[in-house]
Parts: sequence; structure tokens; C-alpha cells
Amino acid sequence: MITQLKSGNVYDPHNKVFNLKKDIFIQDGKIINKKNIKFKIDKVINCTDKIVMPGAIDLHTHIGGGKVNIARLMLEEFHNEKDPSYDSSAIIAPSTLKTGLKYIEMGYTTCFEPALLPINARQAHAEMADIPFIDKGGYALLGNDDYFLNLLKNKSSQSTINDYVAFILKATQSIGIKVVNPGGINAFKFNQRALNVDEKSKYYDITPREIVQKLTRALYDLGVPHPLHVHCSNLGIPGNFLSTIETIKAANGLPIHLTHIQFQSYGNNGDKGFSSAAVEISNYLNKIDNLTCDVGQIMFGQTVTMSGDSMSQHRNHKHAHPKKWMCMDIECDAGCGVVPFKYKDKSFVNALQWAIGLEIFLLAEDPWKVFLTTDHPNGAPFTSYPHLIKLLMDKTFRNDILNQLPKDILNHTILHTLNREYTLNEIAIMTRSAPAKILGLKKKGNFSEGSDADITVYDKKINDIEEMFAHPILVIKDGKIAVENGQIKEYIWGKTHTVTPEYDKAIEKDLSKFFDKYHTMKLDNYIISDDEMNRLVGSPVYVNDCLRKRKQ
Amino acid sequence: MTSKNNNKNLVCPFCSLHCDDISVTTDNNSYKVNEKNNVCSKKIDSYNLNNRSITLPKKGSEFVTLSDALKNIHDLIKGHNETLIINHGVDLSGVRSMLNFASQRNCIIDHVNSKFLYQNIGVVQRTGYMATSLTETKNRADTIIVFGNKILDKSPRLLDKVITPKNSLCLKSKKEVLLIGDFSEKIVKDMKDKCNVTNIKFDLNMTNDLLNATLSSDLKNIKGLSKNNLAKIKKIIDKSKYLVATWTTSDFIKTRNPKKIISSISKFIVNHNKLSRAGCMPISGVLADATSTQALTWMTGFPSRIKHIEETFKHDRNAFNSEILIANKNIDVVIHISTINAGKLKINKNVKNIVLGHPNTSFTSMPDIFIPVGIPGIDYEGIMFRTDNVVSVALKGIRSLKLPTTKNILDRLA
Ligand code: SF4
Ligand SMILES: [Zn+2]
Repeated sequence: MITQLKSGNVYDPHNKVFNLKKDIFIQDGKIINKKNIKFKIDKVINCTDKIVMPGAIDLHTHIGGGKVNIARLMLEEFHNEKDPSYDSSAIIAPSTLKTGLKYIEMGYTTCFEPALLPINARQAHAEMADIPFIDKGGYALLGNDDYFLNLLKNKSSQSTINDYVAFILKATQSIGIKVVNPGGINAFKFNQRALNVDEKSKYYDITPREIVQKLTRALYDLGVPHPLHVHCSNLGIPGNFLSTIETIKAANGLPIHLTHIQFQSYGNNGDKGFSSAAVEISNYLNKIDNLTCDVGQIMFGQTVTMSGDSMSQHRNHKHAHPKKWMCMDIECDAGCGVVPFKYKDKSFVNALQWAIGLEIFLLAEDPWKVFLTTDHPNGAPFTSYPHLIKLLMDKTFRNDILNQLPKDILNHTILHTLNREYTLNEIAIMTRSAPAKILGLKKKGNFSEGSDADITVYDKKINDIEEMFAHPILVIKDGKIAVENGQIKEYIWGKTHTVTPEYDKAIEKDLSKFFDKYHTMKLDNYIISDDEMNRLVGSPVYVNDCLRKRKQ
Repeated sequence: MTSKNNNKNLVCPFCSLHCDDISVTTDNNSYKVNEKNNVCSKKIDSYNLNNRSITLPKKGSEFVTLSDALKNIHDLIKGHNETLIINHGVDLSGVRSMLNFASQRNCIIDHVNSKFLYQNIGVVQRTGYMATSLTETKNRADTIIVFGNKILDKSPRLLDKVITPKNSLCLKSKKEVLLIGDFSEKIVKDMKDKCNVTNIKFDLNMTNDLLNATLSSDLKNIKGLSKNNLAKIKKIIDKSKYLVATWTTSDFIKTRNPKKIISSISKFIVNHNKLSRAGCMPISGVLADATSTQALTWMTGFPSRIKHIEETFKHDRNAFNSEILIANKNIDVVIHISTINAGKLKINKNVKNIVLGHPNTSFTSMPDIFIPVGIPGIDYEGIMFRTDNVVSVALKGIRSLKLPTTKNILDRLA
């Protein structure tokens, strides 16, 4: 079956195509070049006056795993949405079905859960397997697990650490590694309430800097495309931009990705002790080649924060709205905390957080290095992306909202002085090609021959950019029409993206002993095989290539 | 040739600890746990076929073919508009199919242990809550308070695996274990070598008073507890660096106010975290309660007691309570799904009863239709969730009776 998308205005940044009138051809779920078509074209879709982009990719969205389920359970009173085409679950903690429907209707075709606890990986994958339409994947959390900290404490070689990291990627079916509050979650279990970048944990005598160094190195050595995904120390604390900068330095120039950097770019100036340090952070972002970030923009309204960072979440529970929360220590592996929260436009701090996120977007010189996220649902639910795109593309719209916020934030932000408006080219880069590149998804985010035919078509004639991005008129997943004119046409089930660098199996022997001695399950049971993913979990695995052969 | 002495590892589906270190010897379609004389071995072995096992579908007292049984179920459901599915324990694939079936047929779904679930999640839905998990408790907890004695019957290996383990990553000295309630002398005696155990025989109704009393600097006698004993408890608690409170809700269900007991424990733990570290670790029921709660929550937003109405799942913990629905005759047909339950299934003759159950299922009276289905972890591979809701296990199959799975049947009926 061959489908032709005819005469659309195509954006394919990976191939340096920007707003070019072009045809796109699809054969058996993949993109095919015109010259290689050997059969007759079965279907022609007229895309005149339409914008054609690869399906969007969300590289940081909390869509599966224990903490999401805790939020769903905790916030039962919010599950009262009336829209008959979905279930009644709330968009701040949506069901798996609603997650898939809302994403595909916005033209998102691939999403990544950034906090996959290794011990909870089976659940996270099973949940994500029940999300229709999208392809997915996860970043396994390391750096607070007792096994890793023991490796560091015992001065294990980088090569052993690399084996462990590669083993975790394989065993948990992940595509990347994330560290959350490096060492801090573990330190909290020993009753430490804060851990700065160069502060030693009381029990293991290890600093966050060492953890970041070892893990960035491991991913680099293994050739894993996605650099270490870092949720820095001191999340949300005024003045934390300094520790964010120290975390950047800890990578020693190796690739590193800082996540929801908005929450990590706070100064402590002014009479309220809270100010923007977006300029300081952006200077680093613009200067250092191997540094990327996603923003974690906040939006005003009710949401729920969920994080592996039990240390921070326990500190934040005082701000819970409504007044309930949960934190958990998990299996000598990690932790989690779920705290519902309402961002208020009348609040000085929340208004400034909103401005800081936008400042970072607008100060970023290279759209290949900054990604559009709200850290769903921590900053806002992912359904606010079209609104966020409008804030970036429309200065007047942005300033109108800014003018309604508490006036005193203007002393602590430069947002009102930033005239930049994002272009469609830049939006296409930051929501498609750039995330595909930083994750090593060769067949996503582009229209090269052989790539997955995940395609989103927007109506150029819709003047309101938010409306245009909220309701693409056509969404194609794996070559099949999933959404047409706002209607779901066919349920399609995606796959799970992983990466599997090589490792010395000897690490499994040591781990097996560790599990038998200290864990409450066996290593065998902890490992998720491809076959299990396929048959029991319910999502087939797609293994992406490493960048190169392992170095050590 | 016989396949005897084929040693396999079983991942146990029969309680929420889901131990995965059980060695069994299989012989054709029977198996035997290699560990002798322990409560769990007997329990696991009891699911072997015996002369009362039913391996073919039955309509009333007559054997029928599977297709006849399915046709009969179709007829029963078709004529009626209210069908209730009661989950007495099944793996993830069963829960997924149950939901799919309910969405096609507009059914209600409830888990037989929902009443316990709602006691526990109340604290998460109303207040703050600090939780911990099995491996954390094993390795980090220097002090464990066990409220109520049923927990050790329910999950017999909790003691050896978690409360008094041989190894512990971070602890240098023996754990302090406080047993609150009526524990047998044998249990206490057995624990003495492995930990510092203190048994306080105490009325669980007074839990709130007990926990409050430990916070006060001025110790007084409280009802049922001497000042001396209170001082002993307080000393242990105050010294702890990582304190775990554990219970199973069925121990509280006959008390005057189970919710109050659970929230006072939770409040106590939250408070303890102001200066030290602590966590709650409730042990959930043995009927795959956690599996049902987790899967239904991610698929619908609600943990149980849901009904498919007008294209969506609605939840009402009172209106969709299976016990009340049946008692009030608001239901025409009940489909019981029971793949791991060792107890007798209550068949209420007010309604039509269909049972998809393991071959050794016993009933208070014969259901209208019975289809024997496989046991996850014995007959087929599956996924189940452990009590702490963070770990899930991959169950293996160890015999091949060729029984259909719950999923097979529900998918054919949907
Ligand atoms: S404790 Fe529970 S899971 Fe473990 S063997 Fe006994 S019944 Fe099975
Ligand atoms: Zn996040």
C-alpha cells in the first residue's frame, strides 16, 4: 500500500527542509523516496495549504510507573471529566487510554517516561503498553541505588560501572539513564535533608559530583546516544542555579542533559529571596556544546507534582494543594514523592517560575539544544503544549499575560525585554528532529527514506497557532491514519524503544549474589526479557543503535 | 520415560509477597515444593490436582463442552442488563481482559477485598502518607512495629524474608521488633534468636492512644498498658533511625474503627519523619489485590468498584460494592474470577453465578456454570504485583494441563 501526501508545506529539519512544497510517500508504514516507488500509488491525500511535519516527540513526560498510579489514586475527586470520547480520568493524572488519545490528537507519536525505577520497570512498561497509538520508552533511574553507591564506595573501575549501566539498560528495557538528585534520595533514607553537589553523603561518603561524573562517563564510553538525563540537586530551592552550574561542570565536558531546567534556574535576590537566574543558566547552555536541556515550563492551574526526588518532595509537602501527599522509599533502588499543587498567577513565586521557563526558551540560541516540555504533569499537563507554543511564537500574546501577573516580578525577570518569536522552523526542530537526535532515534523525527511514517499535518489556514497545534487535521502513525479531522480512525499500538550496549556478563554474577543477599526478589525475576515485553507486558521492543562501539 | 525430578523455580502467586525462590520438583502434571514442612509448601502443594478437582467445564452438576459452557454464559448475560464481575484473584492479563469485557458488556467490576483497600487508601486520599517497601525494610529498618497477628499467617515468609532476615545491607545490630497484639508464644520464642522482640498484648482499638502516649514526655498508664511497658515502647521508638510500621487491614476490620487505626499509624509515621526516618508498609491481601488495584487504576483512574456506562468507566465505592449489590438483588449475573483462592467461594443463589476458577475451587453451592481455568504461576506465565505496589513479578508456568486462561475465556466472551 502506497500513500502520497501531496503538495504540503513540509518541515523536515533533519534534512534541512523548511517550509518546502513537497510530496511525502509512505509504503508499508515507512517513508519512501519517489524514485524508489515500484507500485501504483493507492491513496493520495491533498495537503495543499497544509503544514506537514514528522510526528512530535516528547522526551520527558511522566506517563507510566508507580508514581503516576499513586497520583491517579490520590486525586480521585478530579476524575470527573465529562468529555464522552474519553474516560473520566483527570488530565493531570490521566488513564493510559486518555494519555494515548490526547497525545495522538495533538500529533505526538513518541513519548518517553523519564523516571523508570529499575525495580518498577515491569509495571512502568506494562502501563505504557496500555497507552494506545504512541511509541514509548523510559530512562532508568540510577545513582541512588545502594548497589551503585557500593560500587563507588569500593572504588570500582569505570569499566565495572559501565557494565552495570549497560546491564541496567538491558534488564529494564530502557533507552537512557536518569539520575535524580544524585545521591540525595539515598541520603534522605539516612535522614539527610539536603545534599549539595560537593557535599558527602553521611553513609556512603560520596558526593553528587562523583555520581554525575561516573554516570556521564559510563554513557559516553558505552556509546549510548542519550546523555545522562539529570534532575539536579536542590530542586526548587532559591539560589539553586549555582548547584545547577556545578552539575554542568561535573560532566567535565562530556554530554549531559539537564531536565526541567526551569526548576533549577532560581536565584535568591530581592526582598522575597527569589529571582530568575535564567540568564546565568542560558549563558552556559549557549556556551557548552554537549549540554542540552528540556525546560519544564509551568502553567497556572491545578496539577500534581511527581518525582523520584523523595527528599525534595518531602520538603515540598507543606505546599500541597489539596492538602494530601505521599512519599516513599523504594527497594534500595530509589524513591518517589507525589504532591498535588496549584500554580497561581497571583503568586509572586509561581508567576516568576512561569517567566523563568519562558526566558530560558527565548534566550536559547540553538533550538537543537532545548526541548519543549512541561515535565508533565509537574509544571502542567502535556495538553498545554499548544498554548506554550503560542507563548513562544507570539510576543503580544505572551506580554498580555505577563502584564496580568504581579508587577513586582518585573524586577527579577527580563522576560518583558525579550522580543524573540519562535519560528515554525524552530518549533519543528525542538519538538521533532532535536529530540530524535538526542535520543538516537534514527527513524523518527525526519522524512528520510526508511523512517517510520509518523506524520502530523496541520491546517495552515487556522490563524490561531494554539488552535492549529492543538488540532492537527491528520495524524499518521506507522503509515496508518490514526486521526483525521479530529476523529480517531484506528487504534494503533506502538512499540518500546531501547538501547543495548554490550557488557561483561560477569556483572550479573555479582549482582545475583547481591540480590540473593539483600533484595527480596531474585535477579532472574528483575530482568525483563524481550520475549516478556512482547507476550506478557504487551509491547514489542525496538532496539536502537549505539553511537559507536564501547570504549572501555 | 517420565519427566520426574525436573527441578524448577516457582514464583508464588498465592500471597502478596510473591516469593520467587521456591524450588519445586515436577512430575508430569504434578509438582512438589522441595522445602519440607513449611506452611507455604503445604499451601502451594494443595493446588495440585486431587480426586475432587474439576478440569472440564460444568453446567450445574453436568459436564459440558467449553463451547457449550460459553454459549450458556452468552445466554445468561444477554438476557440481563446487570452483570457484576467479582475478582477473587487473577494475574494482569486477567484484569486487562476483565476490563475489556466490562467495557463491551457494560459490567460492574469489584474485587472481593475492596473493603480492605478502601480502608488503606483513605489515608492517601485525605492526608499525608509515608511509605516504604520490603527491601528497604529488610536492609534499613532498625525498628519494626507489627500491628496485629494475622499478618504472619497471611504472608508466612514475611518474618524470615523481611522482618528478621539473615542479611542486611546497612544494619550492624539486631532489629528491634515490637509485636502489638496477641501473638503466639511460639512465634515470639522463635524470633528471639534473630531480633530483639517485644510482644505487647494490647487491644488494637487503643492504637491511637498508644501512639499518642509515646509522643508525650509525661508517661501515664493507658488502658491495657502499664507505664513500664509504655516506657519500653517509647524507648525503642525514640532510639530508632528507620522505623517501619506494618499491618494487614484484615486485622483491623473487626475493630470499632479500622480507618481510625490506620490513620493514627500513618499520622504517627508522618510525624516521626520530622526528625527521623520512618515508613508504613501495609501488607495487602492474598487474592492479587495489588494486581487488581494497580491495573484498574492505570486503565481507568479508579482502583475498583467501577462500571462501564455511556462509553466510560464510572466509579462509586458504595453503589458498586458487590456485597451490597448482591444482597439488594440489584444484579442478575455474577462472574466470579478465582484463580488463586484457597477458600470456599460464596455462591449466592439470589443471582446467576458463573465461575472461572482453578480446578480445585470449592463452593458453598454449585454455580450455574463453572469453567476451570489455569492458575497463573502454575499453569501459565503472567505478571502480578507485590504488596508494596512497586515490585511486580513474572510468574512462570510449571505444568501443562491445557486449561484455558481467564484471558482466553473473557476474550472469547467479549
Ligand atoms: S509467603 Fe506468600 S508468596 Fe511466599 S511462598 Fe508463602 S504464600 Fe507464597
Ligand atoms: Zn520529570
